[in-house]
Order: sequence, then C-alpha cells, then structure tokens
Amino acid sequence: MASSDIKDFFRQKKRGVSKKPSSSSRKNSGKSSIGTICLPEPTDTPALIAHGKFDLQDFKGDGDEKLRQFDMEMRYGPCVGLSRLERWERACSMGLNSPPEIGNLLRSLSGSNPKLECLWEGRV
Amino acid sequence: MDGATIEDGEMKLFERKQAIYKSLDEKYLVHGQRYKGQQYSQIYFARLHHLRNLLHSLVTKWKPHLEVITVLGLEESRECVIVGTIYKHMKLKPCILDEYSKERTAVPLVKPHNFLHPDDQLILEDEIGRVKLRGSLLNPTDFVTGIGLALHGMKTIEGDFLVQDLLEAGFPPQTKLPRLGEDKYVVFVSGLNVGSNIFNPLQFQLFVDHVTGHLGGDNEQKMTSQIVRVVIAGNSVIIPHSVLNGQALTPEDQRKLTEPIKEVDILLTQLAAAVPLDIMPGPTDPANSFLPQQPLHRCLFPGASSYNTFFSCTNPHQFELDGFQFLGTSGQNIDDLDKYSSAQTKLEFVERTLRWRHLAPTAPNTLVVNVYTHVIRAAQVELK
Repeated sequence: MASSDIKDFFRQKKRGVSKKPSSSSRKNSGKSSIGTICLPEPTDTPALIAHGKFDLQDFKGDGDEKLRQFDMEMRYGPCVGLSRLERWERACSMGLNSPPEIGNLLRSLSGSNPKLECLWEGRV
Repeated sequence: MDGATIEDGEMKLFERKQAIYKSLDEKYLVHGQRYKGQQYSQIYFARLHHLRNLLHSLVTKWKPHLEVITVLGLEESRECVIVGTIYKHMKLKPCILDEYSKERTAVPLVKPHNFLHPDDQLILEDEIGRVKLRGSLLNPTDFVTGIGLALHGMKTIEGDFLVQDLLEAGFPPQTKLPRLGEDKYVVFVSGLNVGSNIFNPLQFQLFVDHVTGHLGGDNEQKMTSQIVRVVIAGNSVIIPHSVLNGQALTPEDQRKLTEPIKEVDILLTQLAAAVPLDIMPGPTDPANSFLPQQPLHRCLFPGASSYNTFFSCTNPHQFELDGFQFLGTSGQNIDDLDKYSSAQTKLEFVERTLRWRHLAPTAPNTLVVNVYTHVIRAAQVELK
C-alpha cells in the first residue's frame, strides 16, 4: 500500500556506522528522509583490508617514505614477491649502488614488522 | 671392474681407468625452499641485468662510434644501439585464454609439432619499454623469447625499430683444457624408456655387458677399460598414462607403476658395480616436472644406490672430470626451442644456447621453471 512507511524495511543508515561530521559526505540531498551517506573511515572496516596489518601509523614517518621510494625504483627490479631486505641485498650484489641507509634501516627492524615487506605484499 | 680373458693359457687383466670426479650440481638443488609468493618477473630482471652488463662491454668494441640508449630514449632516424630481451609474438602459441575466446578461428584442430607462423614478430624489451623490430636481418624463425641481444639500427616513422646489425653475447672465453696423457671416455645414454614397448631388454643388456667388459676380445676390452664414467641423461622409465589419472590403483596397475623402475634398478646395479654412474631425471621420469629437476630419490634404486659409484644427479647436470667441465641437460630446453624456432639439426639449437649464453632462454615463458631466488641465478648459467 502506498501509505506504508518504507523506512520500516528499507534502512536509511548503515548499521554500525555513525554519522561523523568530519567525514566527507558526498551526497547531501535536500530531502530529510534520506540519510547522509558517509565514507567509512579506514579504521572502521577491517574486513575491506585483505591483510589486516594495515596501520595508519605506518604511513607516517620519513623512513617509510624512503622505503616506498626504494620499492618504486625501477633500477632495482620488480619489488613484488621479494622481501625488501632480499631485494636490497640483491641490488648490492649486482652492483646497483643501493643506498646503505635503507639496508641499515631494514636490518634494524624486527622479524614481523610489515615494513620488511614490499608495499603490495599480501594485497596483490 | 676388470675384464679378463683367457687366451693361450694367459690371463690378461685390464684395469679400468680412473678420473677425478667433482660434482658441481650444488646450485641446482632446491634445499626445501618454500613458495612464498616469488614471481617470474625477477627471473627476467636478473637475466636482463647480467646479459646487459655483458653486452655493454662487448658493444664498445663492436660499434664504438654509436651510443647505447634505452628503448624509451629512441629518436627517429638516429642510429643507435639498444640492448634488451627478445619477445617473440607468436600467433599459434597456445594460450590459456583461447579456451575462453568466443571465436575459435585461429586454433587449428590438429596440434602442430612446431608453433611457427609466417606472421610471427620479434619485439625488444627492457625494464621500461618495448619496441617492434623490423628489417630483413632478423628472421623470427631463428629466435625465441628470452634471448638477450644488442641491436644496431634506428627508429622508423611508424615507431618500429629497423635493425641493421645484431650482436649476440657470443661464445664465452674458454679456459685452457688440461692435457691428459691417455684417452679416457665418458658414455652418455638416454631415452632407455623402460616400461614402454620400445624398450629392448636384450639391447640394454648387451650395452651393460659391453661397458662392464664382458664382451669382445682384447681390443674391445682395452677400449672399454678406458671408459671412466657413464651418464644416463633422462627418460629412463616411462610410466603408462593410464595409471596416472589419479584414480585408485588395482594391484595390476600398481605393478605397472613399479615394474619399470625396478627393472631399471636391476640393470643399473650391474652397471654401478663396474663403472661410476650418474643418472639424471628427464621429462618422463618420476621427478618434479619443472627445471631444475631434483635428483631421483635413492629409494627408487635400492640395489644400485648401495654402491658408492652410483650418483643421482640434477637436471641440468654439471660436473668436472680430471679438470674437464661438462654441462648437460635431459633435453627439455632443446625440445622447447624446437617448438618455437627452427633449425637444421638439434645440434644447432645447442650451439645457439651457447651463443646466447643461456641454457634455457624459453624459461619461464614456455618451459616450466622453478621460482626460488637462488635457483634463478643458477639457472642462468654462464656457459664456460
């Protein structure tokens, strides 16, 4: 029947995602009956991340920037399928002048640190 | 180990000659490495790096007046030299995606032995770009994917590269061969195919008798006493495909599976008792299918492996005898070259692998190969 309220069976808001004023809302419709659609923050939906090792802290810091530049450098070959330290050592043995500070940085990291693996590890 | 003959009441004893053997197979062994996501792109990167370094040093003597540039740095009508890996675009090369394509016009019903087609094209690649090669100098039937070359030419208006001259890595410098005072022989056998209907037990028994010195008069025995090693280069057994379909085996099928290898063991025991023996796996043997194939397991040869003259080796197999270096495969690399290029004889393919300084250039494109890092370096053998 036309008079039945669709809000009963058609949820206007996603379960579990609260309306945050700081999050970017792309659609701001004039009709108040349709709720605002928000983009989920990265920390809200771990299911979307294949690995689960994602941490915002990782992307902060100068060392990570250097490591990512090292991954992208074509001179040392493709970065996928190899740990960063292995790739760095291979670059050394091939005489490709890989910067020593990256080697020191990688060697100082502990065994299970995600910085030891390349950028696309587990995501490709 | 000795051949004896009684002639006019005298006993002549020939002692088999010895040679110092050193196995160089260490780099082909896998040592229990596990797959952690390694990729084939690493193989091509390492190959390009090594061959490019080599070619750069040769180009300075070949065309000293020309500049070596990368593929992306090509300018029109400017003569230069480019170095990279060849990729051969083949129309008839079997592609897994053909199964999904809606039109099946290009796929012939009968599988050709050889996938060559007049429309095949050669492309040169380096890490960043690729360029199509034109010109009558390069005949696509002589080349395969995976070779490193230096090419002299210039870029055309269409964006292709017109080849004027080419440089292969060439034969490596040879170490001086040691001098031996006497003749010594190594016997290479392959394709015994025990378990198939082309195997002739009498022929093989004759061979074993000959090598062990039980046949012939003095002259023959003198010659066989000069045999210092026998190398069996693959395809020793054939297991009938009917037992390999993954179903549960009846006792008769189980016998079909184990009989061939048992027969080989009996024959190899006779050989190992008389002469040092190397056995390599081949495409039909019970070993892993990708290169480098790991040695056949000792438990397959309970009789022969009890002799210290019996060695189970990898494929490819590299060893040194009295200072002479030997390197060989069971032929998978040459057979693969035969499928994707053409030559007058198989020996010509072997010569090409020497000139290209790569044992198996079609790996990993069409030849199944291992991905573990240290093994990758070993598989790109710089033939000496």
